[in-house]
Amino acid sequence: MTRLTRAFGRPLALLILLFASLWILGLIAAPQVIMIEQSLWRMERPEGSAEISVRIDGLYNQLDVLALDRSAVEAEADASIRAQKLDTSDVALAALEAEIAGLEATESTPVKVYTLANFAQMGSAHFAIFLKTIVASLAVTAIALAVCYPIAFAVAKLETPQRAGMIMLALVIPYAINELLRIFAWQMILNYNGPVNALLGLFGVEPIPFLESGTGVFVAMVYAYILFMVFPLYNVLETLDSNQIEAARDLGASSWRIHTRVVIPHARPGIAVGCIMTFMLSAGSYAVPYIMTRGTAAPWFTQLIYNRFFEATNWNVGAAYALSLLVICTLFIFVMMRLLKVSLKDIAK
Amino acid sequence: MTGQTTGMEIELRRSEVRFGSFQAVQPTDLRIAPGEFFSILGPSGCGKTTLLRLLSGFLDPTAGDVLIGGKSMVGTGPSDRPTALIFQNLALFPLMSVLENVAFGLEMRGWSKVRRRARAMELLETVALTEQAGKLPAQLSGGQKQRVAIARALAVEPAVLLLDEPLSALDLKLRQHMRAELKQIQARTGITFVYITHDQGEALTMSDRIAVMNHGRIVQIGTPDEVYDHPDAAFSATFVGEMNVFDGKVAAGADGFARIDTRLGQFRATNPKRLADGATTLMFVRPERMRLLDAAGVAENRLAAVVQRRDLEGAYSTLTLQAQDQVLTVHLQHLGGADQLAGGGDAGF
Repeated sequence: MTRLTRAFGRPLALLILLFASLWILGLIAAPQVIMIEQSLWRMERPEGSAEISVRIDGLYNQLDVLALDRSAVEAEADASIRAQKLDTSDVALAALEAEIAGLEATESTPVKVYTLANFAQMGSAHFAIFLKTIVASLAVTAIALAVCYPIAFAVAKLETPQRAGMIMLALVIPYAINELLRIFAWQMILNYNGPVNALLGLFGVEPIPFLESGTGVFVAMVYAYILFMVFPLYNVLETLDSNQIEAARDLGASSWRIHTRVVIPHARPGIAVGCIMTFMLSAGSYAVPYIMTRGTAAPWFTQLIYNRFFEATNWNVGAAYALSLLVICTLFIFVMMRLLKVSLKDIAK
Repeated sequence: MTGQTTGMEIELRRSEVRFGSFQAVQPTDLRIAPGEFFSILGPSGCGKTTLLRLLSGFLDPTAGDVLIGGKSMVGTGPSDRPTALIFQNLALFPLMSVLENVAFGLEMRGWSKVRRRARAMELLETVALTEQAGKLPAQLSGGQKQRVAIARALAVEPAVLLLDEPLSALDLKLRQHMRAELKQIQARTGITFVYITHDQGEALTMSDRIAVMNHGRIVQIGTPDEVYDHPDAAFSATFVGEMNVFDGKVAAGADGFARIDTRLGQFRATNPKRLADGATTLMFVRPERMRLLDAAGVAENRLAAVVQRRDLEGAYSTLTLQAQDQVLTVHLQHLGGADQLAGGGDAGF
């Protein structure tokens, strides 16, 4: 605070603090709190509603009996006695009807109950999709890492700085195109009647249903999120002193050993950041699976969350599903940091 | 110890290096004896580092041959040469402990953990660093890092140790100490040392022989005394130590001596190139070979000059003299007040 004031002056520092706290509270804390709160309750029929409905049934029976009694009274010859009896039975009937109305109101007004049941809602089918999404995202991350590491290393260490700049620019340019368009491009390429299948057809291969089998989602995802892997890797590899690679070679290390003993240990923070970003984006992706499969393959978990919210309009279960995904993603971050022995400070760098 | 390591002979045969149209190293013949402490001295950009990379195997000659121990090394990579390189920035592996750094070469040679640890500890003992074995390089002082780098290079028992200005980052006291230590290690191990430097002091104090290099060409090879006292090229004369330079013309040359006419009068000097009468030449005089004289005295090699400034350097003082339009430098041994002069006088040598 004092440092901010010293750097920007009091009014500007206050403004910065205001925006920062608005951002943290309004865009991070509040939505999460609301989401968690939503996931923890649901509307239920009131407690003992079964007994209430039994009682209502009983009261209706009583009502019928009273109505029968009343029609019997109407046959009474003495007018004064008849009127008196009718009055009594009308009062009794009105009281009964009032009681029934009250009970019915109680029975049909749901009450808000805090419960973990929303999480248990996930049946085995949904859970399978949840697992598939996690595993597939892990695979996308692994493929992206395998593809990007050699690229990032080659650009950072083998090229001159000018050439490296050009290559990185060439990598960025496709990303100026809207993500949806890029996915559509892949959708067209991998279509059952698309160019890839046409090409395979030339070699006598039967068309492969890339989109319908879910392979397409994979390919498009690796392509869509590859930059988020390349840049952290490139940035960290660029800071590696080339002399270290030469020193290792001079001391007799093979290329493989140079990478496992010198380059990869140095690149750990970049690998962690790249993997975390790619995993989070893949697991949370909605557009890629939606466009690539158009409902023809098993959905991604994000599509289920969407359905809970906007098609089943069950926000509580939707929130519970979303929270489950969030927990897994957060867990992934910690596992990666633990695995690569990277601290938050390294990642921030 | 696994057998006494001995130095190997190095030979360059018409070796040259071109990068595109730039000739980094001119065709060079050079022979370095086994167990010699050989320095290559030159300004930055003179090609001395390229020459070192030629020996270490990171570079192959564009033409010519490189022999180590009588065998051609062209096409043999750095990991398969009997050489070890100490980098200018040392290139210690920052994420490995001191012990792991020293044991790295042995690890790459497939030594078992127990064996290589034992050997690395032995080496650390010779450089008095056993207590730092578990530390990371960043926790060491400059001199300690230096010794780790030496131990790491010696671990692979090279026949030739190549040093690329490893002392340039140290302060003066430490540098002098490390010079002595390097010399001692060289004497103890009998390894051929090739030492690259732009610091004439380092080259003069440590080397058995020095090659003075400029513009990709070795201009003089000789013992430190030869190079300092009998430079046979204008470049080695001015680059090694300080020189006063006089333009002149040979008036009379005879048996290794010549009378040279300059604007400041006629002088008698050695004539190593045996220049003929009438040839234009440069005459070099070391500042410490000049003395201040009284008005009367020797008649030969005498000129009049005015003292402009006196700087006490410690063991000697530097006088800046003005003789007509030429500025001269004179070093006088500092004997405590004796060399303090008023602002004028004659100088002679």
